Amino acid sequence: MISTIDTVITAETPEGIAISMRAAGFPVRCMAFLIDASIRYMIVSTVAAVLAVGGRVGTGVLLIIVFLILWLYPVIFELMPAAATPGKRAMGIQVMMVNGLPLTPAGCLIRNLMRAVDMLPLLYGFAIVSVLMRRDARRLGDLAAGTLVVYRDRASPKDDFGPGEPLPPPVPLTIRQQTAIAAFGWRVTRLTPERAEEIAVLAADAVPSAKDSAVAARLVGIARWQHGQRRLIPPDSAGQT
Amino acid sequence: MTPFDFQTANQASWNELEGELGRNQRDLDPDRFLALYRLCCEHLALARSRSFPLHVIERLSSITSRAHQVIYRQSDAGFARAARALLEDFPTTVRRLWTYVAAATALLMIPTIVIAIATYLNPDLILSIVDRTTAAEFEQMYSPAAQAIGRPRDIASDWLMFGFYIKNNIGIAFQCYATGVVFGLGSLYFLLANGTFGGGIAGYVASLGYGGTFFSFVATHSAFELTAIVLCGAGGLRIGQSVLLPGRLTRVAALEIAARETSLIVFGAAVMLVIAAAIEAFWSSAPWVTPTAKYVCAGFCWTLVLCFFLRRPRAK
Repeated sequence: MISTIDTVITAETPEGIAISMRAAGFPVRCMAFLIDASIRYMIVSTVAAVLAVGGRVGTGVLLIIVFLILWLYPVIFELMPAAATPGKRAMGIQVMMVNGLPLTPAGCLIRNLMRAVDMLPLLYGFAIVSVLMRRDARRLGDLAAGTLVVYRDRASPKDDFGPGEPLPPPVPLTIRQQTAIAAFGWRVTRLTPERAEEIAVLAADAVPSAKDSAVAARLVGIARWQHGQRRLIPPDSAGQT
Repeated sequence: MTPFDFQTANQASWNELEGELGRNQRDLDPDRFLALYRLCCEHLALARSRSFPLHVIERLSSITSRAHQVIYRQSDAGFARAARALLEDFPTTVRRLWTYVAAATALLMIPTIVIAIATYLNPDLILSIVDRTTAAEFEQMYSPAAQAIGRPRDIASDWLMFGFYIKNNIGIAFQCYATGVVFGLGSLYFLLANGTFGGGIAGYVASLGYGGTFFSFVATHSAFELTAIVLCGAGGLRIGQSVLLPGRLTRVAALEIAARETSLIVFGAAVMLVIAAAIEAFWSSAPWVTPTAKYVCAGFCWTLVLCFFLRRPRAK
């Protein structure tokens, strides 16, 4: 079910592992675009003010610079190591090839040339429709170039359990139950005790206990045990695995 | 093996790979790096299949995906590579796609010739292509008395026109290519429209008796400009064909292949259009160059362009 509602895109490597990337959706890309648009506008108006003294030659040079900023601004920035325009960098997203590799020059050129189509019929209409319709949020230029806009930073889940002492599971647990309990153990520090208890009660059948009072603590204990903490650990070093 | 033991036993190699990733690529020991990378891939696969905790999997996928990028990075940038792409791969690609180039040429040239003859015989027809003021402007631009040929009277700067040609023409060429993705219709439109427009002006100006000025003006830069527009149109048609008739591929896969095949054409065409803009702004419009000199230069340019596409790179 997660695969149908999540925006994780996976690419398989020759080593047989799947690399996962998080596709950046419409709102964040829209913001990045607006930031870039204002930067471009500022550059053009500054250059125009400077070149105004140059008369007709100045206007000619200005037209060339407008052309370069219109077509080459994203190309140049995306070919840099960060693979992102200043707007994308500010929003924490970057461009990659869809196979999880860094953006190639050809890919970069195609995706930005194809803006000419994505802009149609007006206000990037085709691009918006394509980004909204596709789970991987690729516009036509991305499709043609085989590129993907993804979040740069990955979530780094903490590795500390909530409070509780290691506890061997009272009954044998299936893999699914083990996974669920482990996930609960890792998440519990981010929940209020009441909410943690509410969730934990759902698992009460799998972990029968004499008193129902602290199911959450018992689940955390089982999670610790499963994780490999079989002995009692002093509370101050509990998180250091 | 519990996740805890797994982590304790293997953390050293994960940290080592992470440390290597932070270093400059030139200082890497390739054998050690690859060995570490494969080991971490194995650990990631194990961790996933055993449903180990999220932070272990996330850590491993983060370092393996960064290492993957280092190992499989394609280093095809660089000046020498770009020069080879332009001088060898570009003409080769154009020759390989010769059917599309032929179709694009026909789509551009047939309306040009038909409309040119029609407006030459009946100059009033120009008014169904452009409005009266534009027609009058053309009349003035190509009159033998013009200060600078091919541009409105009040704009006399070569540099201004150079900038204008670059911004305008290359933009049109890019659109002509990219709109091909709409089943080829965009490219079709740009080719037919440019042909009609160009043919209309040629016929109209010739009917006024200004043919000498007009043809000596367009002869030289058209070697680069018309060819570049045709090539962009051909690229657009190839892209349109991939979307319309993808064959046994999905449309997206066919489009991806077609775009990769034709991207070089657009790059090459853009370079040609910069050359064309320079010629158009500084040479074609100069009234002090005699038409004969312009025709000789034009002959040279056309031969150069045709030889480039038919002969490069030389067979070894």
